[in-house]
Amino acid sequence: MMLLVSGISLLVHIYSIAYMKGDTNIHRYWAYLGLFCFSMMGLVVSDSLLIIYMFWELVGFSSYLLIGFWFTKESASQAAKKAFIMNRIGDLGFLAGIMIIYAQFGTFDVVKLFGAEGLVNAASIIDSIWISSHNQMPVLWLSIAGVAFFIGAIAKSAQFPLHTWLPDAMEGPTSVSSLIHAATMVAAGVFLIVRIYPVFDSLVLNIMTITGVFTAFMAATIALTQNDIKRILAYSTISQLGFMVAAMGIGAYGESIFHLTTHAFFKCLLFLAAGAVIHQLHHYKDQHQLEFDHQDIRLMGGLRKQMPVAFITMSISAAALAGLPFTSGYLSKDAILITSFEWAQGYYGVKKLVPYLLTLTSWLTVFYIARLIFKVFFGKSSYDGLQEAPSSMSRVLIILAICSLSLLFSFNPFFYENSWILQEFSSAGVKRFDNIHIIVPSVVTIISILIVFAAYKVYSGNKTKFFPEKGFLYQISKQAWFFDTAYNFLFVRSTESLSRLSSKFDILIIDGVVNLLARSMSVLSGISDWFDRNIVDGLVNGIAAIARKTGRFSRQFQSGKLQHYLITMLGLVVTFFILTYFI
Amino acid sequence: MNNILSILIFLPLVAALLIIILPSGFRERFKYIALGTSIIQFFITLSIYLNFNSTSSFAGVNKESQFQLLEKVPWIRLDLGSIGKLEIDYLLGIDGMSLPFLVLSALVMFVATLASWEIKTNLKAFFALLLLLNTAIMGVFCSLDFFLFYIFYELMLLPLYFLIGMWGGVKREYAAIKFFLYTLFGSVFMLLVIIGLYFSVLNPATGNHTFNMILMMDPGNYLGSSLFSTVANQNVLGISARLLAFIVLFIAFAIKVPIVPFHTWLPDAHVEAPTPVSIILAGLLLKVGGYGILRVCYSIFPDAAIQSAWWLGLIGVISIIYGALNALAQTDLKRLIAYSSVSHMGFVTLGIASGTTEGVSGAILQMISHGGLSAMLFFLVGMLYNRVHDREIAHFRGLALVMPQFTAFIMIAFFASLGLPGFSAFMAEAFSLIGAFASQEVNGLLPRWMAIGGSVGILLSAAYFLWTLQRMFFGMTRLKGGDDWLSRLKDVSIREKFALVPLAVLALALGIFPSLIFNKMNASVLAFIEMISG
Repeated sequence: MMLLVSGISLLVHIYSIAYMKGDTNIHRYWAYLGLFCFSMMGLVVSDSLLIIYMFWELVGFSSYLLIGFWFTKESASQAAKKAFIMNRIGDLGFLAGIMIIYAQFGTFDVVKLFGAEGLVNAASIIDSIWISSHNQMPVLWLSIAGVAFFIGAIAKSAQFPLHTWLPDAMEGPTSVSSLIHAATMVAAGVFLIVRIYPVFDSLVLNIMTITGVFTAFMAATIALTQNDIKRILAYSTISQLGFMVAAMGIGAYGESIFHLTTHAFFKCLLFLAAGAVIHQLHHYKDQHQLEFDHQDIRLMGGLRKQMPVAFITMSISAAALAGLPFTSGYLSKDAILITSFEWAQGYYGVKKLVPYLLTLTSWLTVFYIARLIFKVFFGKSSYDGLQEAPSSMSRVLIILAICSLSLLFSFNPFFYENSWILQEFSSAGVKRFDNIHIIVPSVVTIISILIVFAAYKVYSGNKTKFFPEKGFLYQISKQAWFFDTAYNFLFVRSTESLSRLSSKFDILIIDGVVNLLARSMSVLSGISDWFDRNIVDGLVNGIAAIARKTGRFSRQFQSGKLQHYLITMLGLVVTFFILTYFI
Repeated sequence: MNNILSILIFLPLVAALLIIILPSGFRERFKYIALGTSIIQFFITLSIYLNFNSTSSFAGVNKESQFQLLEKVPWIRLDLGSIGKLEIDYLLGIDGMSLPFLVLSALVMFVATLASWEIKTNLKAFFALLLLLNTAIMGVFCSLDFFLFYIFYELMLLPLYFLIGMWGGVKREYAAIKFFLYTLFGSVFMLLVIIGLYFSVLNPATGNHTFNMILMMDPGNYLGSSLFSTVANQNVLGISARLLAFIVLFIAFAIKVPIVPFHTWLPDAHVEAPTPVSIILAGLLLKVGGYGILRVCYSIFPDAAIQSAWWLGLIGVISIIYGALNALAQTDLKRLIAYSSVSHMGFVTLGIASGTTEGVSGAILQMISHGGLSAMLFFLVGMLYNRVHDREIAHFRGLALVMPQFTAFIMIAFFASLGLPGFSAFMAEAFSLIGAFASQEVNGLLPRWMAIGGSVGILLSAAYFLWTLQRMFFGMTRLKGGDDWLSRLKDVSIREKFALVPLAVLALALGIFPSLIFNKMNASVLAFIEMISG
């Protein structure tokens, strides 16, 4: 894996020199790319779950920076945000998994935890209690931990239901899409699953299989109708990652890693070759002051003669993706298909469907990639004077094309069992022991070749549309099964309205209570002010007023005239006598 | 240097007096006096940090002899006749739990002083109040006598009230009064508890009633029949007196933290306050709340704390999610950051409530980390506001083209805040959550779903920060003020870099080497956990 990361990133760096030439923010580009390589390397070599997690997020962060590299484009910054947030959902799952594992085992060490005699294997389950030497908890938490890690993996590896960020991520430079969103970062999810494989119990493995198969199939159907060259490849990546995840689910992790390796090379090549085409068209557009979408395959065609290197290398990688013989993809895809047939023999019911669905998907793959090749490179060219990409780009394409051939992985081009990667994984060695190993590859290959031929018939000349571009199925495929619309409605809108609601709640209720308290206090103080002014002070003033009135009244008596005094005195004396004697 | 803490606390007070005495002709010098003070303080705290003994025999927490740089001077002695003698000490000291806050305070004060360059009116009063606030905050983190603690605690309110009320925005009076009354509401009841504690606790050495916090932590020092005695277990208003006292103290500090539903002073105060005061509010005031919960609530009433841990955890989770949701709905950048503070401080409550070593360490680290990051965020918002006097998110677009360096700092601050590994907030939040998750096995205080619920906050924080980034900084440039704004939106100046770089370095350093703090406080946190778990 480490070799893979450093090898591919070296090639992409060389490629980027030409591809990104002339960009005003080129220094940022190299800085971000360096950050990405650092984090990806760190992710691969770390031996502690916590440190893996840290690099895991850093990888997502550098991917955010690179997707949003052309930040003045609204769609690019949208896509970057979407990628980061969807990856964040996965990160939370990863973090939850780490918390469970840490609580249960008290260590982050991957080797101690998941090694052959690791703690996870040593832990026992008795009466639905999950017991380790460190702690114990209900066995349900084992499944939850598995699901949590798996959520982390599917966000990074763009599996259903967290896959919608990857097609949007194509807003970044093509070299970035190739390195991060095809070869390395998206494979990190699969890589994580391998590292912590013992933690997954049968329930989680089943979920994994179903998710993988479904994603592979769904993404392949979407890729059938897309017109943006990079989006086709993005859906193809999702689909291939689905293969890997499904292979993990059925226990074929060696085969899965094998496919991951071969896929990294040929998908990287597909992207880089597509990038070469886009780059040249873009230049052509600038030179001739034209305005058209240089990523739309409907507007391409006939580039075979103008860009022969891109054509040949892309065809090789397309063959690898389609799983045609003599390519690396043939070996690894057969490995997964055959193992899935073997696995399904032990089961009944829905699980029987798994290998057939995978096979069907691989035929769909053949079809859409053939469509892409024929539309882009066959037919008549409408661009005169279009040239081959710069030599530093072409050289990288050639190196990768060699890496996409089967020779690098196995001396025997037909039998995946001889490949050295698989030999590494299973010490006993994989032996072919029944007819499946013969029948499956031959049937799959023959039908694949027929499909390529059919696609050639349909698409090679810029002919009128063979398939009706309407109808229910077409819409489903074209709109990517309406996931974006649904998510937008279900999660984005609902979160937005929830946040608005809670803001209203905050302002009206919580702050309202505070302000109401303040207002009632001020009303209360108003009342007490009135009481104070009118009752308490009124009493005081009233007493004073009474005193004043009494004083004023009695002042009248103090007139200073002797006659008044005498009259008053007489009156008093008379009254006194009357009161004493007559009553 | 036996009285270094006193120097640390009263140095700004001396500087404040100097500023008051100096004639107004020196008004341009005031800010340099304040800046010089904070730089000296920073170096003092740095030397304290470097010379700090972090072995377990100096853990502190509930053993007075283990505190470092202890200063103990009898302050008030009053003979109360038959009740006994009143004993208030001037008691200062630090342990591993208060040490990080001292360094943080000095750093945030330095940044806040640099942000004060924008203040143009009434400089004498402004800097005098700022330095007074500095004294009060340092005092809170150092004092170990409850009476002294309370004095410093209340002393913080006065300068803040004037700083918001006089130099604030449009609704500054409303905000200042709201802030003052809110906080006072909490602390008045705290005073009642302090008095109750005073009557309950005896100093075993002298037989006097005492305000010594460390003595209050030992159940053996309580009078057998007293209100807060663990033996007597008296009831007030139908519930245990100790539980009631814990709740009262918790609410007092929770208002500061702030936790939902006592948080509504915060957005108003932040938005109306001038930049330096916002920085201090977010960077230090909130930490006083968290520190108080650890040092006072948990340490003095551990039994009640354990009893109510489930509720505290719940409040923490609610704060995390509720604060984040509210942040998502804000249209004013400063309000958004204010609500994000509510959300981030929820991790502190959750971590403390877990009662595990990981959780408490994570909570303290979160406080330090948030102290630096929120200071940085408010400083950045202040820069923008200072240039164009607008903070509405919708009024800006494509700022990255206009102010690339500013955008770089914003991105550092945003990504650090949303918990990107390599930055301090990630470590802090991860440890808080791991602590909360492990709690069910270790001590059975918090159920596991609380940790999961808290981690949703991390997702939401990514949502609101990235959304803001996309709306304000990316895309083609489009500003409400047109070319006028364009000419005023200058990139980061040298002075501003001096303030921002240390904060960014702090966030990065603590994210890569959290042991810078963990090592210093580990012994204290272990002693703390041992104390609260009985």
